[in-house]
Amino acid sequence: MEREALALAVSEIVLRHFPEGIPSPALEGVVADLVRLLEGAGGGGQERRDVRHVVFTSLGRNRPGIVHAFSEVLARCGVDIVDLNQTLVHGNFAMMMILDPSGASVSFEELRAALKKRGEELGVLVFVQYEDMMRAVNRI
Amino acid sequence: MTYTRREILETLRMTELENFDVRTVTLGVSLLDCGHPDPKEAARRIYEKLVRLASPMPRAVQETADALGIRVANRRIAVSPVSLIHTRPEPAAFLEIAAAIDRAAAEMGFDFVGGYSALVHAGFTQADRALLDSIPDALSGTSRLCSSVNAGSSRTGLNMDAVRIVAKVLKETAYKTREQGSIGCAKFVVFANAVEDNPFMAGAFHGVGLPEAVIHTGVSGPGVVLDAIRSAGRCDLRALEEAIKRAAFKITRVGELIGRQVAERMGLPFGIVDLSLAPTPQLGDSVGEVLEAMGLERVGACGTTAALALLTDAVKKGGAMATSAVGGLSGAFIPVSEDATMIAAAREGHLSLEKLEAMTSVCSVGLDMVAVPGEVPEDVLAGFIADELAIGIVNHKTTAVRVIPAWGKKVGESVSFGGLLGEAPIQEIRTLSCSGFVGRGGVIPAPITSLRN
Repeated sequence: MEREALALAVSEIVLRHFPEGIPSPALEGVVADLVRLLEGAGGGGQERRDVRHVVFTSLGRNRPGIVHAFSEVLARCGVDIVDLNQTLVHGNFAMMMILDPSGASVSFEELRAALKKRGEELGVLVFVQYEDMMRAVNRI
Repeated sequence: MTYTRREILETLRMTELENFDVRTVTLGVSLLDCGHPDPKEAARRIYEKLVRLASPMPRAVQETADALGIRVANRRIAVSPVSLIHTRPEPAAFLEIAAAIDRAAAEMGFDFVGGYSALVHAGFTQADRALLDSIPDALSGTSRLCSSVNAGSSRTGLNMDAVRIVAKVLKETAYKTREQGSIGCAKFVVFANAVEDNPFMAGAFHGVGLPEAVIHTGVSGPGVVLDAIRSAGRCDLRALEEAIKRAAFKITRVGELIGRQVAERMGLPFGIVDLSLAPTPQLGDSVGEVLEAMGLERVGACGTTAALALLTDAVKKGGAMATSAVGGLSGAFIPVSEDATMIAAAREGHLSLEKLEAMTSVCSVGLDMVAVPGEVPEDVLAGFIADELAIGIVNHKTTAVRVIPAWGKKVGESVSFGGLLGEAPIQEIRTLSCSGFVGRGGVIPAPITSLRN
């Protein structure tokens, strides 16, 4: 595997700086960690395409506890937050999350409904959609 | 982040602020296997086939729309040209079929169903004549049915006899639907070079070269283009075209995405995306406004045709990059009653029918959703249609006329249809006689450019 070979090469560089050597099990651990790291980073531009992410956007007036309120819903639904971005413009906030629903305990429709309901309680706008449109519009 | 903050917010802006929606997902269905000498039996077969194939579609569209976060304005069906369905060639027989199609569409919650059509560009069959004669009753007796006639083509010329019949059909339909502003005429279009895979009404039908059933989409999106033009600011024309192309690319991508996913859910092949910008009467969703944002004081000003040419070309270039399956009419529509800015310009007298006719030489269809006084003579209406179709035939493009001779209405008044069909101001039409010409009958032969083999 290319990623493993790369991880091994990196490990060898590390080893050169430890002339007294690292025990073999520790080295395996380092390689495994590096492989995971590289996979997480997308292997240098190669995005993983097997997960169909959900884009969750919320817009509204800023107030404390908003991110927490939504994360609580996501945790309850077993949805993983892959990425989170938040910005403030003139007292309004825009929060964008990329979600991985593959391990979710609820369907997309249920997740969408739960987030919309929480949005209504908080008085903010909520948009939940599969990433398909973002990809279609923004990627060639 | 997989997508940047700007990408996500811009995409949301399209759908939430710029009135972007997918105008229609259209299911094309062949009805050619439903024929029967007994029209009641033919109607029964048609109803059953439509219900079997189309009933999963509203749900498939809704689920796809929800998952992607985009609105789909209309669900439509296009059927085989009804005059090709084998049955008794009598108007009453076709009216049975019209009622069955309309009932199926209404029961399943479809907005429109097109294909009550005859292809008569090179002459009539008995069935074609019967269908044409039945159109006024079919359109006044149904609510969702749309009808079209192909009266000319670049390969065969213009069937003036068909044009004269169409003029008569229009007058009758206007009278029969006079209580609703002659709305029947808004559901009828006469074409030159009609296309077989058009998802838009009133001209959609399921062409004979197409598969058993297929999903097409038609996009909307003048609002997105308008915003792109405004953001581009004082740039030169080449830069302006670039800005429009980019917007058209995005719009078309979404159309293709929806179409493919709906088709997949329904287990049907995906057909085409019609990348035409389709306006709605809503403010900020207007092709007229797009033209004005390009720098015209009002639509109809000198420069309007040139601006529309640039717009149509940019939409095609951007759209063609975005999908592997461009089809339908694919250009820019200029339906007067469906476009707030066009309505205003026509009311103020800036947008004459002659200017509209000129514009149609560079856009995707033709004189669309224009209303004229109900007392317009039949021969004038025939001449009006013949002029427009001649533009299409000679220039190897689709042109069409969807004109409402609004019964009992005069210039300065208007007719309102509501919904996507909007409101049409009655426009002035020259009533000089042309009966000596159109009354000759027969066919205007195909242009020399038809000899391409």
